[in-house]
Amino acid sequence: MFNFSKILTSPLKILCAAVVLSTASGLVTVATAAESAKATVNGMVCAFCAQGIEKRLSSLPATKAVFVDLRKKIVAVEAREGQSLDLAAIRHEITEAGYDVVKLETVAMSVEDLKAQTAASRPARK
Amino acid sequence: MAFFNSLRRWLATAFAMTAVFSAHAGPMGFKGSAMTMGDISPNWQEGWVNYALSSRNAVGVGALAMRSDDKRLTRKLSELTYTRLLKRVNGEHSQANLWFIGGVGPVSGNNFSGSKTLWAPGISADYETTRVYVSGTLRLYRANGMNHDFASARAGFSFYEVDYEETQPWFIVEARRMRGLSEGIEITPMLRLINKRYFVDLGVNNMKQGRVNFMYIF
Repeated sequence: MFNFSKILTSPLKILCAAVVLSTASGLVTVATAAESAKATVNGMVCAFCAQGIEKRLSSLPATKAVFVDLRKKIVAVEAREGQSLDLAAIRHEITEAGYDVVKLETVAMSVEDLKAQTAASRPARK
Repeated sequence: MAFFNSLRRWLATAFAMTAVFSAHAGPMGFKGSAMTMGDISPNWQEGWVNYALSSRNAVGVGALAMRSDDKRLTRKLSELTYTRLLKRVNGEHSQANLWFIGGVGPVSGNNFSGSKTLWAPGISADYETTRVYVSGTLRLYRANGMNHDFASARAGFSFYEVDYEETQPWFIVEARRMRGLSEGIEITPMLRLINKRYFVDLGVNNMKQGRVNFMYIF
């Protein structure tokens, strides 16, 4: 027979349960805080040419998603949960695809967030 | 009439001086990719596939069947190709490229027996933004007793900018000429559709012949 009163009266077990819950909560927080590398790339003028960037970056082990914005010349790579992005590798892959990286930074945003952000700030079609 | 003849000569000279290539940004894909291309019309059927060994070098195979404008002469060429990106300039909103294209292989024709070894070195340059495109190609097609040097020029514009996932329509005009087979200048206005997966040109030339170009990267 399961005895709740025994658990509730055991300070050590309560402490252990608190630690476990706290740790689990922390893990969830880390998993949901997306991290992306955001590069400004010169030379991206058409989707057919830029697909090389997408394919090469998608093949990196830490890549969860890739976003290409031809109008703002932005390439973003979102990291898989619990993995870190290698900025040097990202720069290398974009360069190997034939383009120039003029700015590369890490942002605490997902690819979906970046898509929404660039869509909101996009000028009218011209 | 004299004006049009003069204009034709001027255009031919201009095309010869302005090297062009048929692709939007280049005759090869990104490192590790295979690219296939086709150019099909009644007088010209070309297809090739190449593999990008690096971001600047590609090797491939191709085949080309040509027919003179008067339909009397035919040529069939199979070639091994080498493509090198000699120079790329990436601007904030533009890209410019200079390419070397080399080919060698047997050519046969209906006015001689057997086959000859044909060499086809060429150079190509292009410049494009998201709205404007211009390019030029000069390629020699030489074999013993044969000269089918080729020149083409293309220019066009896109109707509007698009997102990466969308298909972008362009209007492109190409003029090309091949010595000994097509002494007249073939002019083809084309609708170009560029998607991240494919690249297609559809047009009708000044001889009222349909034409299709396509490119695909694996």
